[in-house]
Amino acid sequence: MKRMQSDRVVCGVAALLALFGVPRADRAWCSTLNGHGSPPVLQSETADITPFPGFTAHDLAYSGLDAVTTGGIRIIDGDTAKTVATVYSSQYANFAWAPDDHTLYVSETYWALGDRGRREDVLSIYGGPTLRNEGEITLPERLISDPKTHAFALSPDGHYGYVYSFQPASSVSVVDLYGRKVITQVEIPGCGLVFPFGERGFASLCADGSLAVSDVNAKDRYILRRSKPFFDVLNDPVMDESVAESKSGLALFVTYDGWVHPVQLADTPRFAPPWSIEQAAGLSPATSTAGQITWRPGGQVPFAYERSRNRLFVLMHEGPPWTFEQGGTEIWVLDVSHHRLLHRWAVPQSAYLLAVTQDAHPLLFALSQTWLWVMNAESGEVGRAAPIVAPGMVSAKGE
Amino acid sequence: MKRLHVDKVGERLTRHLAGRLSRRSVLARFGALLVAAPAFPLLPVQRARAGDAATDFSRAAQTHDDSACNYWRYCGMDGNLCVCCGGGPHSCPPGSQPSPTSWIGSCINPDDQRAYLVAYHDCCGASACTECSCTNTDHAMPIYRPQANNHVTWCFGTQGFQYHCSLAVLVGPAE
Repeated sequence: MKRMQSDRVVCGVAALLALFGVPRADRAWCSTLNGHGSPPVLQSETADITPFPGFTAHDLAYSGLDAVTTGGIRIIDGDTAKTVATVYSSQYANFAWAPDDHTLYVSETYWALGDRGRREDVLSIYGGPTLRNEGEITLPERLISDPKTHAFALSPDGHYGYVYSFQPASSVSVVDLYGRKVITQVEIPGCGLVFPFGERGFASLCADGSLAVSDVNAKDRYILRRSKPFFDVLNDPVMDESVAESKSGLALFVTYDGWVHPVQLADTPRFAPPWSIEQAAGLSPATSTAGQITWRPGGQVPFAYERSRNRLFVLMHEGPPWTFEQGGTEIWVLDVSHHRLLHRWAVPQSAYLLAVTQDAHPLLFALSQTWLWVMNAESGEVGRAAPIVAPGMVSAKGE
Repeated sequence: MKRLHVDKVGERLTRHLAGRLSRRSVLARFGALLVAAPAFPLLPVQRARAGDAATDFSRAAQTHDDSACNYWRYCGMDGNLCVCCGGGPHSCPPGSQPSPTSWIGSCINPDDQRAYLVAYHDCCGASACTECSCTNTDHAMPIYRPQANNHVTWCFGTQGFQYHCSLAVLVGPAE
């Protein structure tokens, strides 16, 4: 017994020497004292940080839902359905990954005394080998609402960030992310949200059913142009969470009743004829007539788009009009090129959010308020499931 | 259905605001309203017209239990009922205060089959009340049409910005 105590003292001294830089002191001394036959003494450790591998091919990031849940951006490895990292955020935060897949921008709001006192809106920057905070850019007052994917977005090259402001007048703050400063605020009266395209341009949806396009002119000043209304905003509005790709400029604006309006975003946007998700499935189109029970899109983020195969994934439920927030009991897979339904996959419980990776073997993520299901995006097979915190915004690698 | 009389609706909305705001607060917010004007190009009267027709919600609505999500005036309610948090349908619970601005809905009262304008104010400045959560989206609009959107946190101009619960304040008949 006494021998063991003295061994511990020697090992403790050795560990201290090791801390002061004596090479292999703890290991050599302790193994000698411990003798043969007994298990080796565990090595001493230092607290460190797991390196962040970047936002990799099968990763998913999601934020907390709202005032009820805690904030934070969580990063999940789709191959294991396990958490890789978490970044601090305020409630009602938005986020976007830079094209380098290592830098994360979080658009968020704080008050000096919790919910009162001096208000500060910031774009927080996280990155480096351990996803550390690397500073903030002060913003004009941003929109505070239930999470909206298109309230914050980056230009395709990651040079500019666009933050939708609602004070309650509507504008967009344009942030030079390389120079780390807000360079201008573009008024977008009667419109909202941001759908970036090209080098500096962004589009917004408007309260009269039109599209507003903002882009810089030869004098480097933003000019706003409005299209004619292209949807019936009172009876069948386009959903906030419609799909838009900044690199290609393709937007698929989907209405409550399931009409898809393809638009090529540009200074002069090109509007293709709308097509119906229900018709693509061989059904009559959904309408806003009371009492019509049929399949309709719905949820928090009910759409995901896979670029390489031109496929649109939609959360669908059976219900009457104006149920666009109802979760989906099925995922419908649509061929966007031919307006054709390819698959109908049931989800284990009603799902509210979708995201899909953009690699050669894509994963489809379906999220309820409590569960994440990781699915094979080609077969619909559920590979993994994991409990989650109520999600607000969601983004898979490459989206 | 019944035709909407724009002047009367406007008068009711004005009276509703006048009853809620002091002269000083009106002056203080006048500038903000001027700035905000572009965000509200069509005003709530347009929204009310959309709500005139009977909807699936109104067909199943009831008028006796204001702590249930299908209470008739909650047709556009997306949030936590203040009735369940120590307040009433038009009264914030102690510790919170109503937002001066709101989103507007138009709900049909099953007892008289009339459409009424309802102002959904948030109660702000207290920790989130998690009771009686409702997701009613009758004629609710996307966020780019904010005057009828129930996802915006409307706590502008209150002491604290924390969302607590939501009210359904009767403005008057939408006709």
